[in-house]
Amino acid sequence: MFDLLIVAAMLGCAFQAVRGTRLLIAALWLAGASALTAIMMFRLGAPEVAVIELSVGAGLVTVLFVFAINIAGEEPPVTLRSLVPAPLAWIVALCAVGLGAAMALPNLRVESSLVQADKFATVVWEHRSLDILLQVVLIVGGVLAVLGLLAGGRADARKESQ
Amino acid sequence: MPDISTLAILSIALPWAGAVLIWLVRDRQPQLQHALAVVFALAGAAAALAMIPLRSEVNVLDFPLGSAFGQVTFLPDGLAVFLAVVATTIGCLAVVFSVDYMKGEKQLGRYYAYVLFFIGSMVGLVLSSNLLLIFVFWEITALCSYALISFYNDDPKAVAAGIKALIITQVGGIGLLAGALFLYAYQGNYDVPTFLAGADRLPPNVLALMAFGFLVAAAAKSAQFPFQTWLPDAMEAPTPVSALIHAATMVNAGVYLLARFYPAFEAVPNWKLAVVSIGAVTALMAAVMALVSNDLKRVLAYSTVSQLGYMVYAIGAGGIFASQFHLLSHAVFKALLFLSAGAVIHAVHTRDMREMGGLGKQMPLVKVVMIIGGLALAGIPVLNGFWSKELVLEAGHEGGPLWAWLFMLVGAGLTALYTLRFLSMVFYGEPRSGQHVHDAGPAMKVALVPLALGTLTTWLLAGSFGHFLGKALPEGHDVESTGALLLQIVTAPTTFVALAVVALGLAAWWQRARLAGLAHSLRGIGTMASNSFGFEAINRAVVSVTEASAESLRTTHNGVLNWNVMAILVGLVVVLVILALGGA
Amino acid sequence: MMSLSLPLMAAVAVLGLLGIGLLGLLVTRNLIKVVVGMQILVKGALLALLLAGRLSGQVQTGQTLALTVIVADTIVSVVALALAVQVRRQFGTLDLQALSTLRR
Repeated sequence: MFDLLIVAAMLGCAFQAVRGTRLLIAALWLAGASALTAIMMFRLGAPEVAVIELSVGAGLVTVLFVFAINIAGEEPPVTLRSLVPAPLAWIVALCAVGLGAAMALPNLRVESSLVQADKFATVVWEHRSLDILLQVVLIVGGVLAVLGLLAGGRADARKESQ
Repeated sequence: MPDISTLAILSIALPWAGAVLIWLVRDRQPQLQHALAVVFALAGAAAALAMIPLRSEVNVLDFPLGSAFGQVTFLPDGLAVFLAVVATTIGCLAVVFSVDYMKGEKQLGRYYAYVLFFIGSMVGLVLSSNLLLIFVFWEITALCSYALISFYNDDPKAVAAGIKALIITQVGGIGLLAGALFLYAYQGNYDVPTFLAGADRLPPNVLALMAFGFLVAAAAKSAQFPFQTWLPDAMEAPTPVSALIHAATMVNAGVYLLARFYPAFEAVPNWKLAVVSIGAVTALMAAVMALVSNDLKRVLAYSTVSQLGYMVYAIGAGGIFASQFHLLSHAVFKALLFLSAGAVIHAVHTRDMREMGGLGKQMPLVKVVMIIGGLALAGIPVLNGFWSKELVLEAGHEGGPLWAWLFMLVGAGLTALYTLRFLSMVFYGEPRSGQHVHDAGPAMKVALVPLALGTLTTWLLAGSFGHFLGKALPEGHDVESTGALLLQIVTAPTTFVALAVVALGLAAWWQRARLAGLAHSLRGIGTMASNSFGFEAINRAVVSVTEASAESLRTTHNGVLNWNVMAILVGLVVVLVILALGGA
Repeated sequence: MMSLSLPLMAAVAVLGLLGIGLLGLLVTRNLIKVVVGMQILVKGALLALLLAGRLSGQVQTGQTLALTVIVADTIVSVVALALAVQVRRQFGTLDLQALSTLRR
């Protein structure tokens, strides 16, 4: 019952995040959805990932969203008509989800016989060290990209002001 | 003495290493570039020649590339080593020729790098016994061919010709790739010897698909009907490249493919008939076109197409040995013809034969060797072209339909006719251009003389060549000694018929003034031939249809993210529906 | 028998998040809202990974993959947001229609 409530709230938050016209509000709804996802992860037996999701997904990314929206400035909240007709979008999305559900749900096997004995940390550091390397590379690359973008922006702004 | 797998790798890697080095030298030191090119081409040729006594009938070198690509394996049997030797030695002579021909040209690095890259990949193409690897090398040779045709990239004609060659050979590449994937799907690996040993394990319809896919690939690569239009346009390339790629080596890749896989596809219904028909139609049609062209290199290109038609025809008739023997003769005498034509063009700065004439006095050596090459092309006795062409005609008479044999006979007569035509237009008659003509340079002569000697002598190798090809020939193809083979040719009745037709062709040129009336009545065919029998129009139609459909498809690319996501999602729904229906 | 069990709820959450994320990508015209839609899609993928790990008995592998996805997704979002800021500075709008330059 508890799970049902969480899932319902999560989907509600996500829907509001997509639907709302104001960016700041959307970012906040997204943070809510993220936090509820973290709870769901905890329920699925992944406390470490849940903590990371809570801090990074709900925390860091939300901060970045607010930051970006502040810099970029809020668009005037006129509702632009969507380029794809809304009913068509609904139909196609529902089709995809419905088909996925029809194929996936009946095959859901509940029990899990084999359980890995290793601890999460052991698996991360010893069995998946390539992933760690990849993550480091990603983080460095991302930081460099953001620095480059923002620095370029400042240079352009200076040029414009001159 | 290094073992065979080392030599196989060396004969690929040495030219490639040379290509990289020449590219690294940059264009400031042309002398160094010339020297490096010659050295590495020679080294590659030496490695290939050293493979001759060591050849092996089984795969050598097993280098795993993972489950998706199979092993890197080489099969240096007689057929493969023979073509590798042809590619490297003629490549070497073409590079030596280039030292004079390309003197003072800009961007030598690009030129030599692509030529050496080509030589290495051609060797790789013939040595590999992994079908996927064959496809990779096949495409590399197509890339080099494209880059060298468009070498003078400030000339729009050259660029267009390069793109045309690339696109048409890609069509063939699809056939080869499809064949390779079929092989993987039904055999589980790309190994060619396994396939050849038990081709009947594959379902007959799949085998037929592979057979015709390979036929398309071979026709596109070897400029056979209906893909022949790219080769004449490819003559925009520098002449040594035309000699190497578009006469002696790359265009033979199609013939090689058919010969290599002949044992597997022999039993496919109608395949042999299709091969014979393509060869015969191409040989005759190209000979007619060679008769009406006024561009020296285009005449030679049409003649190459025609002679390749002879080889394809021989394979279809079951004469693998005849086909490969003609390939050897043709590679030698056509490289000689192209290189001497290059010397002529370099001297008079035009390719139009109507502006040449009387050049024999200024360039005596070139005249002699080109006449030797021309007579071999025409099939005059004792030169290598005579023996191999008679062998082809004999094989065709035994194994092919009569109409195709008659086509080939007429083609042989026309060959003699157009050979005399271009020889006399270039070297005899009154000098038509007043400009100063200088003789060929020393490096050119160094390249021409061995080829001329080869044209005079390679037929003496007939018996040992057959022995050399060994197991690459299908069962029951035992080749006797040279003497017996030559005797068999000399005593065969087809030889005399063919000689009579060739003599008729020569006589027709001799008496051309008296035949003016006949020539006039045949003018319609001539006009059609100079319009390449409408194939250019077909090409243009294909291009315009493609462009029109691309233009109308542009509406789907409106650059709006939402619609792109929509398309992805619709694709997902379609995949899910297919999965759901397939699962039910 | 599996009414309202945890895996079923998780599967519903996965499908729901994917659907909402795709819907968001379909209807939005704002560059930042595109990033929001992508975030929601990725949350669905994360839950799917964890669920798959649980169902196949390889819980820890699923979790480490989820960790990698979180890192990658965060980087993607950060770079996309920085890009959006730059786009706004350079072109003065975040509207996808106005930004599209591929016109006939």
